[in-house]
Amino acid sequence: MSDSGEKSYDVIIVGAGPAGLGAAIESGKAGARTLLLDENQKPGGQLFKQIHKFFGSKEHFAGMRGFLIGEKLLEEAVKHNVEFRLGARVWGLYPDGCVTATDEENSLNFKGKKIILATGASENALSFPGCTLPGVITAGAAQTFVNVQHVLPGKDFVVVGSGNVGLIVTYQLLQAGANVIKIIEAAPKISGYGVHAAKIRRAGIQILTGHTIISASGRDQVERVIIAKVDENFNPIEGTQQTILCDTVALAVGLSPRIELAGAGGCEMTYSKTLGGVLPVHDDNMETSFEHILIAGDLSGIEEASTALDEGRLAGCRAAYRLGLMTLEDYTSKKVMILNRLAELRCGPFGNKRMLAKEEIWKKAV
Amino acid sequence: MEESCLNKEKIVCRCEEITEEEIMAAIRGGADTLDAVKKSTRSCMGFCQGRTCKRLIASMLSSYFKRPIEDFLPGSLRLPITPIRLSILADTAISSDFGNEDAHA
Amino acid sequence: MSRLTAHPIIKIDEKKEISIYYEDQLLRAKEGETVAAALLAHGFRIFRYSAKRNEPRGIFCGIGQCTDCIMEIDGKPNVRACMTIVHEGMTIRTQKGLGQ
Repeated sequence: MSDSGEKSYDVIIVGAGPAGLGAAIESGKAGARTLLLDENQKPGGQLFKQIHKFFGSKEHFAGMRGFLIGEKLLEEAVKHNVEFRLGARVWGLYPDGCVTATDEENSLNFKGKKIILATGASENALSFPGCTLPGVITAGAAQTFVNVQHVLPGKDFVVVGSGNVGLIVTYQLLQAGANVIKIIEAAPKISGYGVHAAKIRRAGIQILTGHTIISASGRDQVERVIIAKVDENFNPIEGTQQTILCDTVALAVGLSPRIELAGAGGCEMTYSKTLGGVLPVHDDNMETSFEHILIAGDLSGIEEASTALDEGRLAGCRAAYRLGLMTLEDYTSKKVMILNRLAELRCGPFGNKRMLAKEEIWKKAV
Repeated sequence: MEESCLNKEKIVCRCEEITEEEIMAAIRGGADTLDAVKKSTRSCMGFCQGRTCKRLIASMLSSYFKRPIEDFLPGSLRLPITPIRLSILADTAISSDFGNEDAHA
Repeated sequence: MSRLTAHPIIKIDEKKEISIYYEDQLLRAKEGETVAAALLAHGFRIFRYSAKRNEPRGIFCGIGQCTDCIMEIDGKPNVRACMTIVHEGMTIRTQKGLGQ
C-alpha cells in the first residue's frame, strides 16, 4: 500500500510533546493549517510520565501535575483544529519543506510551508562491564514503565545520577512501591534541586556522592553492581569498591538534544555544554539557519517541560506571523510576553546559566 | 560463581556490540573523527544509528586527543535518520537528492 | 517486576484483558499496554540475544530510540517491544541475532 501523494500544510510540527503541542496550539489558533506528527500512538510526549507538580507561573500550569497538563494541552490543540497524525515515524526532512514518515506499512509524505521541529531529547548512556545486561535501563525508561504502563520494571533499584531526573524518578519509584537502595553520583555534590533531594532524604534513601558504577553482573540479568569512590578526575579509587545486590540499575546521566532530523535537514549546529551538547543554531524567534525550519523544546537545549511549552508557543506564533496570519504588532507583543515568562523560568543558580547559554546561541544566529 | 557476565569488557556501541577496546584500537590506529571510528569499527552503524554511542565515542576521542568533545560531535547526520524498510524508501517519490550520500554530509 | 495495584497519585484503571502468546505460552496482557510492559509484568526480561556475542538484551531506553528491545512480533523481526501495543492473539518470540 502506498500513500505517496504529498499532503500540504501551512505548518508541520514534528513531535507532540510539550513543545510541539505549544507550537500546534498557537499555530492552529492563528488559523494556520497545522499538522502534528508523532511516532507514538498517543500525543503528549514525555508529559504523561510526569506525575509531579510543576513549578512556574499560571501560564506554566504551576502546581498542576504533568499528565493533567498534557490533557489540557491536547484539548486545546483539538479545539484549534490541529490535525494529529500519530504512529508516524519521521525519517526525513528536505530543504523544500518535505517531511517523510512511515507508519511501518506505508510511506507518508507531507509538505509544509513552515516546519517546527520539537523532537525532544535522548537520554545519555554509560558504558561499563555489564551495561547491556537486562536490568540496566535508563531512568526515563523506569519512569515510562511505572507512570505510563503501570508496571514496575524491577524490584531493587540502584539509581545512577542525582540530577533532577534521577531524584524525581527515584521518588516515583518509591511511590510505586519499588525499593531504591541508593542513588550514586560521581560529582562531589548532588546536582539536582534541593527540594527534590530533601524529599529523597526524608524517605530514607542515601545519596552517595563522589561514587561511580564500576560494573553490573549476573547470569542473564542484573544481580549485583559494584560501585567505587572516585578521585577529583572521576577515576575510581583502588580499594573503595563495594558490592550492592540489586536487580535494576536506572541511569540518569543527562539528556542530549535529539538533533538527527534537524541535522539531516541541513540546519547549522552549535555546541553548548550547559544545554546538553550539540543543538541547532537558533535565534530568539526559534528560527534556525533555514528561515522555514523552526525548533522548540529540548531540541533547542535541554531545559524543562514548562520552557519547552513556551518555546513551542513562540515558534508557533513566529510561523503564523511569517505566513502572514499574524500582524507584526501582535507577534511582537506575544513574543515579549513569552520571552518574559521564559526569563522567569531561567533564573536562580541553575536557570541563570541556561539563560546565558541561550543568549550565546541567539548571538550565533545573527 | 556462575557468572556469564564477569567479562571485563565494556560495550560502547550496543547495536553492533563494539567494545571500548576495539574503539581505542581504531583511535590508536589513526581514526581521529567519529566517522573514521565508525568506518573502521562499524560502531554507530546499527539500528539506533549512533544515537546511543556517539557521545561515548566522542568523549573517548576527546580524552585521547586532549581536545574538547565538541570538536568531534555530531559526526555526519544523514537521511534516513532512522532505519526504514526498503519498500517504503522506494515508495517515497521524492525528487530531491535522497540517495546521494554526500548531499547532507 | 509486577503490575502496580495501588498508587498515591496515579489512578490504576481496570483495563480489559487480552491474550497474547510469548514463545507459544499464553499470557494475559492489558489492552493498550506495550509488549515490553506485558512481558515485564510477567517477569520476562530477556527480549533477544545479540547477533555477535549471543548475549541477552532487554529494555534499555523504553521510548523507541535505542532499539535494544527488538523482538519477533507476529512473525516480523526487529520490532521494538517498547513501541508496539499488544493486540488479541499477538505472537511474540525472543529474537535470536538478526531474526528470521
